[in-house]
Amino acid sequence: MTAAALFQSILASLPEIVVVTGACILLILGQLVRKGQQQFLVWASIAVVLIAALGTLMLAGEVRPAYSGMFVADRFAVFFKVVFYLVTVLTFLLSRKYAEIEGIGSSEYYVLLLLALSGMMIMASATDLLSIYVGLELMVLCTYVLTGFLRQQRRSNEAALKYVILGGVSTGIFLYGVSLIYGLTGTTQLDGMAAAVTGDPLDPGLLLAVVFIVAGLVFKVGAVPFHMWVPDVYEGAPTTITAFMSVGPKAAGFAVILRVFLNPLVAASNVWIIVAVIAAVTMALGSFVALVQDNFKRLLAYSSIAHAGFAMFGVAAGGADGAASVMLYLLIYAFMNLGIFGIVIMMRNGDFSGEVIEDYAGLAKSHRGLALLMLLYLFSLAGIPPTAGFFAKFYVLVALVERGFVMLAVIAVLLSAVAAYFYIRIVMVIYMREPEGVFDPALTPAVAATLAFTAAGTIGIGLFPAWFLGLAQHAAIGG
Amino acid sequence: MTIPLLSLIVFTPAVGAAALMFVRNDDVVRWMALGVTVLDFMLCIAMLGGFDTSTHEMQFTETRPWVPALGITYTLGIDGISAPFVFLTALLGWISVLASWVAIDRKVKEFMVSLLAMQALMLGVFCALDLFLFYVFWEAMLIPMYLIIGVWGGDGRVYAAFKFFLYTLAGSLMFLIGVIVLYFHGGETFDIRTLMAQDLPLRVQSWLFFAFLIAFAVKVPMVPVHTWLPDAHVQAPTAGSIILAAVLLKMGAYGFLRFSLPMLPEATVHYSTLMLVLSAVAIVYGGLLALAQDDLKKLVAYSSISHMGLVTLGIFTLNLRGLEGGILQMFNHGVTTGALFLSVGLIYERTHTRSIADYGGLMKAAPVYTAFLALFTLSSMALPGTNSFVGELLVLSGAFAANLAVGAAAVLGALLGAAYLLGMYRKVALGPASIGVRFKIRDVNAREMAAILPLAVFVLWIGLYPKPFLEIIDASVKHLLAQVHGKGGAQ
Repeated sequence: MTAAALFQSILASLPEIVVVTGACILLILGQLVRKGQQQFLVWASIAVVLIAALGTLMLAGEVRPAYSGMFVADRFAVFFKVVFYLVTVLTFLLSRKYAEIEGIGSSEYYVLLLLALSGMMIMASATDLLSIYVGLELMVLCTYVLTGFLRQQRRSNEAALKYVILGGVSTGIFLYGVSLIYGLTGTTQLDGMAAAVTGDPLDPGLLLAVVFIVAGLVFKVGAVPFHMWVPDVYEGAPTTITAFMSVGPKAAGFAVILRVFLNPLVAASNVWIIVAVIAAVTMALGSFVALVQDNFKRLLAYSSIAHAGFAMFGVAAGGADGAASVMLYLLIYAFMNLGIFGIVIMMRNGDFSGEVIEDYAGLAKSHRGLALLMLLYLFSLAGIPPTAGFFAKFYVLVALVERGFVMLAVIAVLLSAVAAYFYIRIVMVIYMREPEGVFDPALTPAVAATLAFTAAGTIGIGLFPAWFLGLAQHAAIGG
Repeated sequence: MTIPLLSLIVFTPAVGAAALMFVRNDDVVRWMALGVTVLDFMLCIAMLGGFDTSTHEMQFTETRPWVPALGITYTLGIDGISAPFVFLTALLGWISVLASWVAIDRKVKEFMVSLLAMQALMLGVFCALDLFLFYVFWEAMLIPMYLIIGVWGGDGRVYAAFKFFLYTLAGSLMFLIGVIVLYFHGGETFDIRTLMAQDLPLRVQSWLFFAFLIAFAVKVPMVPVHTWLPDAHVQAPTAGSIILAAVLLKMGAYGFLRFSLPMLPEATVHYSTLMLVLSAVAIVYGGLLALAQDDLKKLVAYSSISHMGLVTLGIFTLNLRGLEGGILQMFNHGVTTGALFLSVGLIYERTHTRSIADYGGLMKAAPVYTAFLALFTLSSMALPGTNSFVGELLVLSGAFAANLAVGAAAVLGALLGAAYLLGMYRKVALGPASIGVRFKIRDVNAREMAAILPLAVFVLWIGLYPKPFLEIIDASVKHLLAQVHGKGGAQ
């Protein structure tokens, strides 16, 4: 590799380098920060992310392939990275007070989040199965540890262990698929694979390899049949980490899925049928099981499974519109889901766990503003206009119908009608019950800012979707 | 057009709702809500003043790009079919506020915000000329209505709110798929006027017809998807019942008029007999159910099913008299049933019972109230001289022209109507005073009079001199018929 090529590669991956370097510095600085000064860590972490974001936006102008075709900084990656930055910064803002209440505010917490961010960024930019693997592992290893961060609590430990074991198996399956691909085509580069296949694209060996890779990736987004870990991990993990995982790593998983599926090799093999089935079953399972949940975090876990299913429909639709619809969906989902999680996180204060739905009975009576925000997020998650959640679903349906998959669209909307039930049930609890206790939410300025920002996104994208839609379409076309 | 009059009409209540959120005093909230709705009503009168009855073209149109990448625009406009309902909605807006003046005594601010939001969205539905915009208004109504029923309703409110929400949502989502399919078949546009000009293959039309039918039938509601209505009506607060009966139910029928007939003419003609039969079933079945009710609100609710059956019957006769009668009857039903729910609400505030068996001899206790009740009861059973007589006569003559058996069923429905309405009136107003009204009951006061009198005026005005109302819809209905039969072939 010549010096010029090396320089180009470093330039293309500058944001990732910033994040990793920042994480390492914070790891050392963290040991020097005295107790009670942890505020500094939060702001330093946010600063790292913002510097990386600045770098990403400055480099966004052109396509920059790097590291001999293993990595690319293109608009597609930029879009996802912006989502990741957003998610990470909001998680930091939500974490400050919560970490104090739960006693988990050590520097490692923030460092691991930053490293997870770098893993997600690599996933979004990876164009080689092996670099995908590197990003994936970096991300999930950090989330394993973060899941178990409430180390005094049994269910946090249990969740972490479960996550590690199942995650390890799925990674193994993924790697096996990669090795099959390499054996059949002699390359692991996404672009090279299609060119290397001379024979029938429906070769059983290739199909098997693709199915294995899909299985490995589907695990990360929590789609059926690899969803078992989601409810337990979401319930056991610190709520801030649950919020992060429900949006960030999921979006990263979809970034890779889209990259792999936009690949001509995969597009040629009728894999969309598998994806469509996965999407339908995932959505059905998430929606129906969520109906009977009493724990707020578990409910949101199943809701996130259902949303993954809906986004999967966009993948099944394929094409530029399909990809753009998934991307827009993830962006909007980030806003509304972090919003609702923000409230759950905030309610955790003193003896109040805020984890049981019944705990929220009558919230509207004493906290009108909060109740109204929850109403907004919940109706957005249910996909009722004029919120952003509606437009997200609408665009996926447009992509499906455009490709002639009307039946899939019908299945999708029927299942989202089922899903609407459990969201409006929470609205019912908030508005139509009498309060049983006194609410004391830990409303810090940082949390308030997060809620204001997510609410603005949830209603703003719903009313003026044009610009965001253009962004997603632009990014999906690639280049 | 320099002043975007329709945008003003649609968004005045929305702005009012937003402003109300910052008000603390309940009385100020009430007066502000009343002020906003009255202002909106006056804007509507200004709109009708400038309305040109000689053309079927959309008037007061305004267009702005919204999501250009998907061909979505913000387009508003009204014609003779939507104008009466914009007016009706605005009229019932301030009547609903008056009806909730003392009936809503907790969370007044939230209630008025929901009511005004509802008002804005309903007006939006009737004004929208872009399918996507229409759908946004249509579906967003679920949120405030869900709250109005669920928070301020009766004892079974939660169940009723859920039922209302899920029925309507399931129906609307099918409509959404239909809209998207139409979008791709109609040249990637959501513009309603462009889509009306498309000539779709019959197969596509048939699918779309049924997709739309599910959504509209739930809203109307037609048998067998009517079961949400009695629950929602009985549990909703008075203002909620008025809005539901007077405006929401019209939206299903409006959907048929605005989308099914002009956009899917061949399918409409093809399935018109099916629709006629469904309507006839609703008329008779709703009437029979109403006959068996002891709850005043339930009785009016089931009578709504029967009367809305008459509306859809009129629409699907696909002839001039039937259609004009159907549309006039939509307006009449809004006025009359709105007034009946208001009357029931007024008496419920005094006695806290809705059971017909608890009443009797009300005429002696509250003569003015009873006189109004008599007028609205007679209007509901379409006595000559009242508004419904004109509409029902037109529908019946259209129905007999279209299908003899269905016409006969409609007449049977009218007979049933006389039976249950007169029976109700006899038990409530006449005879000896019963336990329920043993105590002295206050007659209507000035506020209640202000709410109920305008509706009585419309009952008699349309009954005695319907010409101005028929003139407004005439040109548009004729054009609609030309659209249906022009493309759908001779009947």
